[in-house]
Amino acid sequence: MEAEFEKSKTPEQGERPIAVARRAPEVSAEVNSGGTDSFSHPPRDVIIYSAQSSIRNPVQLIRDICTDFWLGRELAWRLFLRNIRGLYRQTLLGLFWAFLPPIANTAIWIFLRQANVFSMGDTQVDGTVYILTGMILWQAFIDAFQMPLAMLNKNRNMISKLNFPREALLLVGIGEVVFDLLIRLLLLIPAFLIFQVPVHSSILFAPIAILGLVLLGAALGLLLMPIGSLYQDVGRFISMVLPFWMIITPIIYVPLTSFPGSLLNWVNPASPLLLLARDWLLLGTTSHFTTGLIFGAAAIPMLLIALVVYRISIPVLIERMTA
Amino acid sequence: MNLSRSSSSDLILDVDQVWKAYCRNLKRAMWYGLKDVGREIIGGGRDRNHHNLRSGEFFAVRDASFQIRRGECLAMIGPNGAGKSTMLKMINGLIKPDSGSIQISGKIGALIELGTGFNPILSGRENIYINAAVLGMPKREVDGLMEKIVEFAELGHVINDPIKTYSSGMRVRLGFSIAANLRPELLLMDEVLAVGDVGFRMKCFTHLNELVKQGVSIVLVTHAVGMLQRVATRSVVFGEGKIVHDGDLETGCTIYEEMLGASDRVRAKQKEESGRDGEIGSVEVCNEAMEPQAEFETGETVRLRIQINARAKIKDARLIVALCSPVHGVLNSVSTPYQGIQFDVDPPGRVITLEFPKIPFLIGAYHFNISLFGPEKVDFYHRSSLRGVFRIVGPPTDADGYGINGITKLQHSWKIDG
Repeated sequence: MEAEFEKSKTPEQGERPIAVARRAPEVSAEVNSGGTDSFSHPPRDVIIYSAQSSIRNPVQLIRDICTDFWLGRELAWRLFLRNIRGLYRQTLLGLFWAFLPPIANTAIWIFLRQANVFSMGDTQVDGTVYILTGMILWQAFIDAFQMPLAMLNKNRNMISKLNFPREALLLVGIGEVVFDLLIRLLLLIPAFLIFQVPVHSSILFAPIAILGLVLLGAALGLLLMPIGSLYQDVGRFISMVLPFWMIITPIIYVPLTSFPGSLLNWVNPASPLLLLARDWLLLGTTSHFTTGLIFGAAAIPMLLIALVVYRISIPVLIERMTA
Repeated sequence: MNLSRSSSSDLILDVDQVWKAYCRNLKRAMWYGLKDVGREIIGGGRDRNHHNLRSGEFFAVRDASFQIRRGECLAMIGPNGAGKSTMLKMINGLIKPDSGSIQISGKIGALIELGTGFNPILSGRENIYINAAVLGMPKREVDGLMEKIVEFAELGHVINDPIKTYSSGMRVRLGFSIAANLRPELLLMDEVLAVGDVGFRMKCFTHLNELVKQGVSIVLVTHAVGMLQRVATRSVVFGEGKIVHDGDLETGCTIYEEMLGASDRVRAKQKEESGRDGEIGSVEVCNEAMEPQAEFETGETVRLRIQINARAKIKDARLIVALCSPVHGVLNSVSTPYQGIQFDVDPPGRVITLEFPKIPFLIGAYHFNISLFGPEKVDFYHRSSLRGVFRIVGPPTDADGYGINGITKLQHSWKIDG
């Protein structure tokens, strides 16, 4: 017991057994270096909460975010397992529920196309595979986009009562999005076989574009989360515009190349990476490499900003959960 | 931030001039929230104090400062809405202060709500891993403590069953056991002492006492002041966001009891009617020498001087005096007819003195409810509540079973057979 205590007094970044808050450690550096009697007493983790904004020390802030992702990994894994196990334990069809939505969606659109309700354009591969792939990618983007707010709402109770690395929730969220995506991507195997779609080597690059798509979705969702949590109007608005957003994304038709329709590929953040990923999965060649690259590159700083916004807004949001 | 103070070796928590504002209006609170997020993102702090409260806001915590050292168990007490839970949330890092700072040297463990994060479908064992992970404990440490946690919770027989088959008491036991077996340097507990059956509660107290002996500091928030003596060594009393007492537990509890009484007194006064023929006037608590006094020791004589005012003659008046404690309610009620006292009150009134020789009550706050009647049951004149507040301040009581404890001192004797 004694030994355990002595050990816990020294700051060991990797193993802090208790949820320790880390909101303003820039001051703690000051305390540690400024403490004159730090030789006689072992330095301990010093946390200071003040009204200061942590953004004043951006390097430390980014470092804290990274530390919390690392510290939160175990919790994230536990919560991820809990959610996955809990999700299918009380169902008859189990994992089949993960496959069902994209199959159903694709079936509807295939039916509509066969009824000549709309025209897809030249898809170069079988239309069913084309729509199915698009649907799976779109679903992943939208899942990632809605994830931050959904995670916050689902874990309201935990967030407002316990101090744990908040980033863990994002790991869980991304994990669930990727898990669902991987399961749905399995659908492509029988689809490729049945509709005899040739496999190109470019399929190896597809995961990069898909990851970019998911991260971009998550970043956008994170930026919206503070407003969405305070004002429920945001959530209602999003569920209202989702069908329109899907229609202006080239999922059930080939991307428009003539102006002004082609503009959609630039203003719709979901389009470029989705198109790039689908081309790499199905066609082998792509004309969306540049736009995809630009949006993929933009996703990285955007995600960083979004993570900062997330971290800063959580305490303010908790106040409103209890106020 | 006072660095020289904070670098002292056994200072665990230093709360320094902390303010926190809340807004009760939902729409405004949402808007302020958005503004707060925006301001922080562009680097503006929130440093606000009483000079710049926004419209609709009030201070839930105002200018609070206190410190906790290693191995201290502090009770935060106060009426509802006094700012205790807000303070605890700030210490736990869930919300930020609007002004001032909170410095913590060491690991925090918080028992705010037991079993937060339990999944009803999963087994107790699986939930232990999840709950421990939420509290920041890695799996290999949980593996080492698993048996201890299960044993402490007394749930060995059901640990592999789904949590939803557990009773609420079982869940609480599991939650406490997980949190209690973590090794924090500062343990925050919010209203979790009142859970479980008596046997388990005693076990929790024993465990908390052990933690304190090992140098763990504890902050308890509770309304159950009666239980505090088992663990707490010091109290901080909150009243309307301000710290009104920081010091020994006994005085803290007494002040808290008085505050409970005071809020009732305001209400009682509002109800009071006027235009009666007779009413209770001034009421004074005095010592044996009839000098006004507010603090007594158990066993001293307490005298109550009651002024009765009358506009018209009250024949065969009846006085009923109930001695009350804000926590326990009416302790005893006496009436003039019981001792065959007969009296009339002529205008403008008269003074009646009631004596309690050798008052048997132990440390705490007390007051009187006084009613004035005529001879018949229906001849009601006036009732006046929460009058003559006094305190018993000594001798000390003992909750550990080495002295006496409770509300009253009973005459008693022991006899050992054989």
